[in-house]
Amino acid sequence: MSIEIGALGPGPFEELARSAALHGQEPIESTSERELLVLWLDDDPYALPVERVREIVRWRPITPVPRVPAAVRGVLSLRGEIVQVIDLRLRLGLAPSLAEGRRRRIVVLHGDDGQMTGLLVDRVSEVLRLRDEELRAPTGRDAGTVVALAPQGDRFVSVFDVDRVLDLGVGA
Amino acid sequence: MAARRTQKPARNRATREFVSEVEEILERMRADLSDLADARAGGRLDPELANRLFRSAHSLKGIAGMFGFEGVSDLAHHMEDILDGLRMGRLPPGAPALALLDEVVEVVAGMLESGEGELAAGALAQVQALIERIVASLASEAPPAADDDLDGIDASILRALTEYEEHRLRESLRAGRAIHLVEASFEILSFEEGLSELTGSVRALGEVLSTLPAPGDSPDSQIRFSLLVATECDAAELGSRIDLPNAMVRAMRASRATPTQPGSAAPAASAPTELLRDASPGESPRADGGSEIESLKSISETVRVDIRKLDELMNLVGELVIQRGAIGSLADRLLADPATARAGLELSKLHKSLERRLTDLQAGVLEVRMVPLRQVFEKLSRVVRRLRRDLGKDVRLDIRGGDTELDKLIVEQLADPLMHVVRNAFDHAIEPAADRASAGKPAEGSIRLEALQRGNHVVIEVADDGRGIDPEAVRQRAHTLGLIEQDAVLSRKEVLDLIFAPGLSTTTEVTETSGRGVGMDVVRENVTALGGIVHVDSQPGRGTTVVFTLPITLAIIRALTVGVADQRFAIPLTTVLETMLVDPVAIQRSEGREFLTLRGEPLPLRRLHAEFGLPSPPAGARVAVVVVGLGDLRLGLVVDHREGQQDAVIKPIQGPVRSVRGIAGATELGDLGTVLVLDVASLVEDAAKRREAA
Repeated sequence: MSIEIGALGPGPFEELARSAALHGQEPIESTSERELLVLWLDDDPYALPVERVREIVRWRPITPVPRVPAAVRGVLSLRGEIVQVIDLRLRLGLAPSLAEGRRRRIVVLHGDDGQMTGLLVDRVSEVLRLRDEELRAPTGRDAGTVVALAPQGDRFVSVFDVDRVLDLGVGA
Repeated sequence: MAARRTQKPARNRATREFVSEVEEILERMRADLSDLADARAGGRLDPELANRLFRSAHSLKGIAGMFGFEGVSDLAHHMEDILDGLRMGRLPPGAPALALLDEVVEVVAGMLESGEGELAAGALAQVQALIERIVASLASEAPPAADDDLDGIDASILRALTEYEEHRLRESLRAGRAIHLVEASFEILSFEEGLSELTGSVRALGEVLSTLPAPGDSPDSQIRFSLLVATECDAAELGSRIDLPNAMVRAMRASRATPTQPGSAAPAASAPTELLRDASPGESPRADGGSEIESLKSISETVRVDIRKLDELMNLVGELVIQRGAIGSLADRLLADPATARAGLELSKLHKSLERRLTDLQAGVLEVRMVPLRQVFEKLSRVVRRLRRDLGKDVRLDIRGGDTELDKLIVEQLADPLMHVVRNAFDHAIEPAADRASAGKPAEGSIRLEALQRGNHVVIEVADDGRGIDPEAVRQRAHTLGLIEQDAVLSRKEVLDLIFAPGLSTTTEVTETSGRGVGMDVVRENVTALGGIVHVDSQPGRGTTVVFTLPITLAIIRALTVGVADQRFAIPLTTVLETMLVDPVAIQRSEGREFLTLRGEPLPLRRLHAEFGLPSPPAGARVAVVVVGLGDLRLGLVVDHREGQQDAVIKPIQGPVRSVRGIAGATELGDLGTVLVLDVASLVEDAAKRREAA
């Protein structure tokens, strides 16, 4: 169960944001493909790079932890490791989900320092493959957690910067 | 000088192995050097120690060369020279030589730490200069008069001796010991065993100066050796005490104390039966020398293991323990139903035996993680020796309880805090000689470092006989820093405890060795992180004692589970003193803080509900109080109810929130799922702090 540290730095995201921002202004040579995991909050699709995903597990009871930000729902044990679970809805300031639905999933992410974190989402649908030049700049806040929009059919998927999502503004 | 490497060698696997091997060698050398310094009292050198050091330096040279660390290899070569000079008597076994060896060991350690593997030109020049000084002093030292008093020793033997062996022979003669020749024949297929047995029994009685193949009319299947022995025993006594048939002792020179007849022979054992042993199958004769074989064997007896591998094993054991619990509850369910009771009984028996074996396995894995504190203590003793030398301050460090064992991880983390406290004692606590004299204290200051096991904890005390801490000065300083009110009512202990507050220093002096007196707060922080606690006691003018209390292991614990609101927490049983059910009317308040009277003493209470923002139980409901203690602090944790005891492997919590005050980690408890483990040390300390702040 080794976790590669270093290979998965923030690099891909900065690149991703840059290519999204630059698109349309300059010819982009890179035609590298990206793979994004598509997940949903209500009826809105979001995505994050698959290389940051360690595994996806079904919703299961989470042990609450005191004295932590509200977005941290608690911890669960994953094959002997204890992992914090962040409720993505609460992290983005959305209302908590009323039902702990059958389709809810916990996406387990590699952190930037080898630590794992679970991300509680409403559901997970597919892996999206696209090229850098297909990305568009986000419409939301500059310093938000979304760094790009990726086209899927006739709509766009919001692409997260995982490290920003995991940054809860508490002491490292 | 060997070519210097310009690149910093990458810390690849090979380098890591090199580093850990060299660390081991250095550790051994430090221990031997310190023993050598202790044993040197009579101006004589323990030859066994000098030889061991020489072998260590030799291995160091070898492996450093093999891995391309030429700087280390060079230094090791110089160490060999010095050690050779010492054991051959060419170099006086005085402090300068030992100090130089100490220094070279530290320089190598420094190179290892910096990852350079090479020495900065300046430091190298310095060491070279020291070496030259030693060599010069050696040259000026008149070599011990070579008395040609080797009468009685066969010329054929003298010819076969190496320079070192001859030196030892002369030394032994000078010391007035008897010289004997012990001869024995061995089956050629198993001579190693026989010879090492013989050497072992002779060593118990004296020094084996040389092992020589002996000519003689022995059968072809046998090989004959003679051991040149220096001893206080006479030949007859030596012969009778060597419990080996077929060994003969021949006296060459009587000891000055007990004259014997030169040339007389005594049988080694009463019944000189033939020493015939069947060669065990698979054992092949070896042509190489005995000492080579010995050293190969000793290496294979210990295995270096990455502590992370032990963690993995520990995790596996933890998971087995959880599954064992599940099997136990299945057995109980089967037993409860008459239809399956038979199978339940069988399963229950199996479960019991599994439990026993698992307990053994757990204990075994835990034991492997344990290391004696001696390693850390020796480092400290080295530091004190160096400080004594550099600062010219006469301070003795007494070490007791170095055999006390602790989890390797804890020992590692403990080195810095202990070092800090010892340096503080050396630097600030122990007064200058003049002050000591006028206070009627012995000129030599004393620091006592003592470890002992107390139940599931290890207590380490650092006590000095210095000037002690002036509580009034601490109060003033704490007030200046705004930590306490001018008129705060504090007990002596509470005042002393203030030295652990950030920024508080008990001296205004700034020194190189212990910095600005900052750091007791860091000491406490480090110890708390290990689930331990640190306290100080001090008598002005008499001295200061810093007491560390630490759990023996972090890996696996017995835990008490308790319920609070709809949650469950685990409390390490090592911190639990007792539990009780309490009627709420028994709870008193003082300035809004709850306490309980327990055996005539007030016990402060903390409600976990309030601590963790959980809903309180209905007023008037009976609650459970878990009395926890660390060091001499006591606290009653109020919970809704207590459940049971479980084995728990505490795991760190991964994720964006790095630490939660009051939570040590989490554990998986079978049916109960994931349960948070309380960090009792921090809860107890927080409660104490609130009292101070009040």
